[in-house]
Amino acid sequence: MKQTPELDLVQAKMQPGVLTLKGFLGNDDRKLADILAADAQSLGNLGITTTAIAGRLQQLADRGTDLMEEEILVENRYRIKVRDDRGKIPSPWGDGLFEKGDVDLFDTVTGHSLKWNRLTLRLLSAHGFCGGLASEYRLDPQRVQEVLSLPPTSDN
Amino acid sequence: MLTAILVICALTGGLTILLLIAESVFANYGEVNIDVNKGEKTFKTRGGSSLLRTLSSQKLFLPSGCGGRGSCGTCKCKVLEGGGPLLPTETPYLNDEERKTGIRLSCQLKVKNDIKIEVPEELLSIKEFETVIEKITDYTHDIKGLRFKLAEGETIKFRAGQFANLFSKPYDDVKEETSRAYSISSAPSDNRAIELVVRYVPNGMVTTYVFKHLHEGDRVKLIGPFGDFFLRDTDREIVCIAGGSGLAPIRSIILDMIDRGITNRKATFFFGAVSTRDLYYVEEFKAIEKQHPWFKFIPALSRDDSGHPYARGLITNVVADNYNDMKNIEAYLCGSPGMIDACEKMLTGKGMPKTQIFYDKFS
Repeated sequence: MKQTPELDLVQAKMQPGVLTLKGFLGNDDRKLADILAADAQSLGNLGITTTAIAGRLQQLADRGTDLMEEEILVENRYRIKVRDDRGKIPSPWGDGLFEKGDVDLFDTVTGHSLKWNRLTLRLLSAHGFCGGLASEYRLDPQRVQEVLSLPPTSDN
Repeated sequence: MLTAILVICALTGGLTILLLIAESVFANYGEVNIDVNKGEKTFKTRGGSSLLRTLSSQKLFLPSGCGGRGSCGTCKCKVLEGGGPLLPTETPYLNDEERKTGIRLSCQLKVKNDIKIEVPEELLSIKEFETVIEKITDYTHDIKGLRFKLAEGETIKFRAGQFANLFSKPYDDVKEETSRAYSISSAPSDNRAIELVVRYVPNGMVTTYVFKHLHEGDRVKLIGPFGDFFLRDTDREIVCIAGGSGLAPIRSIILDMIDRGITNRKATFFFGAVSTRDLYYVEEFKAIEKQHPWFKFIPALSRDDSGHPYARGLITNVVADNYNDMKNIEAYLCGSPGMIDACEKMLTGKGMPKTQIFYDKFS
């Protein structure tokens, strides 16, 4: 994948202190095109799609909404807490504003944790962006698959 | 080889100089006339800046969530004449109806000639305030109260329930001034100061500034008031429901009702929290309850098994348990989008028409 001028602009907005305090890239110093290509490759190898991941994570998040930040055990496996904050956050791709608030998931089987919000789900499903390495919101394909055990899809 | 490099450098330098000269000649738009609301406010200014920046230089502040970076889509404004063609950077933020009616994204539209615009009337009363932090109070483990003193001779006029934008200064990785909206918690009668309630948002750019870098005595810029969340002028009984920092505008509304002598409307304030450590202003509201028979305060805790005297359970359930038919009641909600959605569902289920439910999601 080529690092286009558009991706340069998006990557600039992903730096710490531009749209969010810590940014979206963690300690990842690769070009955004390379990050996207590497994660697309991993997803392809696993046989899962970003749409399927985003759909499943949203389904889990829905179980924890309207609970005023109460933690809930879902499917006797996932401990989920949904935090809602006032205000909206813009997408670095400039394709919308997304309500703030995080979902924290702890998988009691694998011991792994995942964290996401409405914006990071959008970045995943619409742009294939899983987050930079070591970023707090990274949805690493391998880890996500260990937690969610999604069935392989053919449209990947 | 060296000659070739020198020639390329000379050509590039020459082209740069030419471009700079061309910009100063061709992009000099001279003086332009700005007409706001059909002559209500007019001014002359130099063209060339964005409409948002041009208006704010004249102290006319359109709401903006991203400070004019073209990524939030909130600084919309109706352009009657002189806006030029719609730009590709505006289109993702405008729907068909908005495009047809001349709505533009003011941070993207460059003022190149005389322009006529229309803004909501209340925006003309929005002001920039250079304030000094008079007091910072820790209300809970993640909520602070801020009292800003206005400059000598300055006053603020606002409706109880409205909000203001607080500007953080650059710090750490945040290289630019950033603003976020917070509800005003003080009463309109307290017009020499502004009080805000701020809940810490993990990794939030402005809340991190407030919690880690702001001190009493610091100078802070505020712009406001904004918003259409305020007590409607009816005789209906009211129910206020809030959580977290959502208490702020409700406090302002209740204090304003006292100041204005509105005693004919029964008002009940349900405040939802997780545990006792999330409660604040309880003593003040209990004192109001004692002095004013029309007011009742019901805090509710969703997860606290200690022997506390408050209601127990999710706030939606606690409110639902207190009413049968709510069709003649008005509701004022302030809190997270999730809380507001859950409350709206419960209230309409109890017969309350949607037109009697008011909230500010800061959306």
